[in-house]
Amino acid sequence: MSIYGSSVKKPITTLMIFIAVIVFGLYSVSRLPVDLYPEIEFPAITVLTTYPGASAQDIEINVTEPIEDALNVVDDLKEITSTSRDNLSIVTLEFEFETDLSEAANNVRDAISTVDRTLPEEVDDPIIFKFNTSMFPIQMFAITADQSYEGLEKILEEKLINPLNRVDGIGSIQVIGAPKREVAIELDPRRLEAYNMTVEQIGNILAAENMNLPTGNIEMGMIDYPLRVEGEFKSSDFIRDIVIGNINGQAIYLKDVATVRDSIRDMTMDEKINSKNGVRMMVMKQSGANTVKISKELNERMAELKKSLPSDVEVSVIFDSSDFISGSINNLSQTLIFALIFVVLVVLFFLGRWRATFIIILTIPISLIVSFIYLQISGNSINIISLSALSIAIGMVVDDAIVVLENITKHIERGSSPREAAIYATNEVWLAVIVTTLTVVAVFFPMTMITGLTGVMFRQLGWIVTITVTTSTLVAITLTPMLSSRLLRLRTKKKQPGRFSYDRTILPWLDKLDNFYERTLSWSLYHKKVIILGSAAILVGSIFLASGLQTEFMPQSDEGRFTIAIELKSGTSVDQSIEIARKVDQILWDNFPEIDLIATSAGADDQGSFMSMFMATGSNVINYNVRLIDQKERERSVWDIEEAVRTELAKIPEITDYTVQSGNSGMMGGNNVEVEIYGYDINLTTRLANQLADSIRTIAGAREVSISREDEKPELRVELDREKLAANGLNTAMVSTALYNRVEGLTATKYRETGEEYDVIIRFKEEFRNSITDIENISLQNSFGQFVKLGELGEVVEYYSPPNIERKRRERLVKVSATPYKISLGVLAEQIQQKINQVELPREVMVEVGGAYEDQQEGFMDLGLLLVLSLVLVYLVMASQFESLKMPFIIMFSIPFAFSGVILALFITNTTLSIIAALGAVMLIGIVVKNAIVLVDYINLMRDRGYELDKAITLSGKSRLRPVLMTAFTTVLGMLPLALSTGDGSEIWSPMGISVIGGLIASTIITMVIVPVVYKLFATRGERDKQKEVRAQFSFLND
Amino acid sequence: MKAIFIAYNQAHTEKVEFVLDTLEIRGFTQWSTVMGRGSVDGEPRMGTHTWPEQNSAMLIIIEDSKVDAVLDAVRKLDKINEEVGIRAFVWNIEQSM
Repeated sequence: MSIYGSSVKKPITTLMIFIAVIVFGLYSVSRLPVDLYPEIEFPAITVLTTYPGASAQDIEINVTEPIEDALNVVDDLKEITSTSRDNLSIVTLEFEFETDLSEAANNVRDAISTVDRTLPEEVDDPIIFKFNTSMFPIQMFAITADQSYEGLEKILEEKLINPLNRVDGIGSIQVIGAPKREVAIELDPRRLEAYNMTVEQIGNILAAENMNLPTGNIEMGMIDYPLRVEGEFKSSDFIRDIVIGNINGQAIYLKDVATVRDSIRDMTMDEKINSKNGVRMMVMKQSGANTVKISKELNERMAELKKSLPSDVEVSVIFDSSDFISGSINNLSQTLIFALIFVVLVVLFFLGRWRATFIIILTIPISLIVSFIYLQISGNSINIISLSALSIAIGMVVDDAIVVLENITKHIERGSSPREAAIYATNEVWLAVIVTTLTVVAVFFPMTMITGLTGVMFRQLGWIVTITVTTSTLVAITLTPMLSSRLLRLRTKKKQPGRFSYDRTILPWLDKLDNFYERTLSWSLYHKKVIILGSAAILVGSIFLASGLQTEFMPQSDEGRFTIAIELKSGTSVDQSIEIARKVDQILWDNFPEIDLIATSAGADDQGSFMSMFMATGSNVINYNVRLIDQKERERSVWDIEEAVRTELAKIPEITDYTVQSGNSGMMGGNNVEVEIYGYDINLTTRLANQLADSIRTIAGAREVSISREDEKPELRVELDREKLAANGLNTAMVSTALYNRVEGLTATKYRETGEEYDVIIRFKEEFRNSITDIENISLQNSFGQFVKLGELGEVVEYYSPPNIERKRRERLVKVSATPYKISLGVLAEQIQQKINQVELPREVMVEVGGAYEDQQEGFMDLGLLLVLSLVLVYLVMASQFESLKMPFIIMFSIPFAFSGVILALFITNTTLSIIAALGAVMLIGIVVKNAIVLVDYINLMRDRGYELDKAITLSGKSRLRPVLMTAFTTVLGMLPLALSTGDGSEIWSPMGISVIGGLIASTIITMVIVPVVYKLFATRGERDKQKEVRAQFSFLND
Repeated sequence: MKAIFIAYNQAHTEKVEFVLDTLEIRGFTQWSTVMGRGSVDGEPRMGTHTWPEQNSAMLIIIEDSKVDAVLDAVRKLDKINEEVGIRAFVWNIEQSM
């Protein structure tokens, strides 16, 4: 028994199967995570190594290079990049797609362990993070406090960070600008010298005093007493009264040579949130983890944890990138609902029957739900790509059901019982329905095989369309006949239909439309030349227009937040920076009513090297996080505001450089062109970078032209005279350690209080260590116990050194990046390439253009390849379907015109051609080819049935008009809310809506006019002639 | 004894069976799928892409007295919609066992 026969005869079973599918689908929907895009970030691991006191160049040679060499052999590695800066080495490994991150992390750990021993001794153990440093934090909190401010770090560590770190998928949580407690012992070197003591001696004494030691057991009678010496400092006040030596029988107390302070460490960073004191807490996700899911869990935990915080500690959100994602997806889901409503209305409009409409509409939710099951099983998410794919598929899934239902209705109207009609009518068309579906699958299935960044998006699209269309066919040959047999009945033709009935309102218009089309078609068939020349003109015209289209990889979206990094003159002190920061704060508040929140941080956190992974820090740097009010409540877009901020910043003379950028939560890289200059010679490449940057700045649409290598900063170097060292019995290591202890400070011991440890740090008072003379006057003890001044051992010289050295593929590079403003990425890249060509490059330097532009080029390449692959496959399928080599050509004639429509629509609406717009265009191929196939197939059928060529063409055209219009209307109306939508994320998908609407309108007209005309040109012989050919060989009757 | 050969569009299957049961004709031989074409204007029933519809055929051997009733029923059935199509042909049975 056939599948449709069984389903009609076993309606309950059929119904149960579909209910099961729906239940499973709904379950999947409830479990699906939400994201902006399919997972398009490369899995990444960052290895962070600190080497206190080392310069960028030292770090590069001693830490970064060995680590890079060791990690270069890790499996599935795609690219290795690194930044070496003062104190810190950051090596980032990007892995191929779908690499298991935990396994990769293990490999990285193994590789690190082999190199660990060869690293310098002072190097701290490398830390491994499962995220990419080029990614933005997913959430940022502002935490303000009054009384608890001094103890804030401990409170946050215990009550927030540790519990939150347990949330699955969080890569790291960092607090920036938290005050740290320490016991600082600040020495007066002159007194120290007078007492003939050194920093190290005091350190040893303190360490020796601050001690609890078990010293054995004593047995007294029956009892065994453990004996202990307790010397640990009971309070920090205790420290100042420690005796550190004696002279002439008189005890010297620590307070005689030093001041002891138990307070928060000197702040080299100033954090203000809306001009209030506070700290920032950044949450990074692991690469590949789902932002919305983490944020949801994080916010839930946060709400609970807030209760346990002291009452004066307030937590507010600076930004939550999941807001934008959820907002976008909700927005898109709404447009999907609109699309659904439009499809219902269109089907009802063309069929004019409630029950038939109901049966057909039922195919939509079932097909869509099955694709949700696919998303769930394959571990994907609900995102812009999957939802857009669904909204386009909606128009296609009803087609098969309509074909089946129309045939069933025909049989019922001829007098069959609905039951019989359902079985036999389905029997007549089921094969044809399956074959058309196969062609659509042929267009979309190759997409599932693309790799790379583009592949991530198109694969999902390919699968979703393939699955929904296949499901819709299955539904059309099982559920549709079953429901038809139950719900449809013979309608008695009313002699006098009601005034407002379908038959007297809409139907006459549709009939008129049919007749109008028939006349147009006959006219076209007799004026082939006009039609062919006209369409050739359209094609050439659109190719001409296409060259004027602007391109970009991903449309940029307004997420209502941006960051500002302001750089002052190198070497500017923190106090000076703070002053400027307050000035900028004021300017922002005064001039931009759209601003909702400003988090300012001026200066650099001395211990917060973590910060420098994400942004430039330094005493001369001010970083801003700015949040804007809701997109609907403001008139200026985030880009316009950024541009206005730039003009404001340009007016402040103290600011040497600034970047204003919008955060982008969807993907990494962002929207910029990067010129990568590879070369070992730092001076040479820096000069070249500056030269290029200057010439790029002259490009009208280039903004944010910046050089990744920071300005050289002044540094003091002590150059020791080895002979003098030797004479004193010293060596470089001894001198540098001594210097470190006096300037940076010697961590003598830990002061314990309520289970927490705080560093006890000994160093010179600040006034004795802030000029070259002070440094030269530092006295060190030589091996003969005498004091020598540093000035006697060498000299202190001022130097300039680069604060950061970046490497990629184990070669040094400098990046010059530029962001486009009001021009497209493609155009900007072209102009930059021209500028590069004008510059004469030294032989040892290599220049490449990369950044988001590189992704775009790769993306469009992949897309082009996909197009070719699809066309070949479609040709193969169609050629075998029609058993003809020329029929597929007739059909494929309609494809270029779909693109003409896309180009025209993009041109008229001044939209850039992005991957998303191209996605819409590729989807069109499916619809266009399907329409053309059905039309050509029908013409063939009519020819077979013996109609003359012209008659066959007009008859088929007329009978196909309504189904083609239905598909076109459902899809165009479904896309309309997408194209017109505003609000969160609309910038991303409106190009798709625009390109589909433009392409579909154009291609519908083309399919209905040009395909028949081309058919007439090609198909001079029909099936009957083939039969004649065969029969011509039968000559036996004439014998 | 007469033989009646009924060729009909598959869509008539249930109705033909109903006619036989109503007339209390028990014995029959049926071919569920046959192809054919009407002598005057009947559309071909080929089960192909061009002519997707198919016919069935029924051969019944009955008493002479029932022949008219069967033909009458077939005529009525055909009247429902002539496009669908049903035809019956009667001839003599020489012998049987």
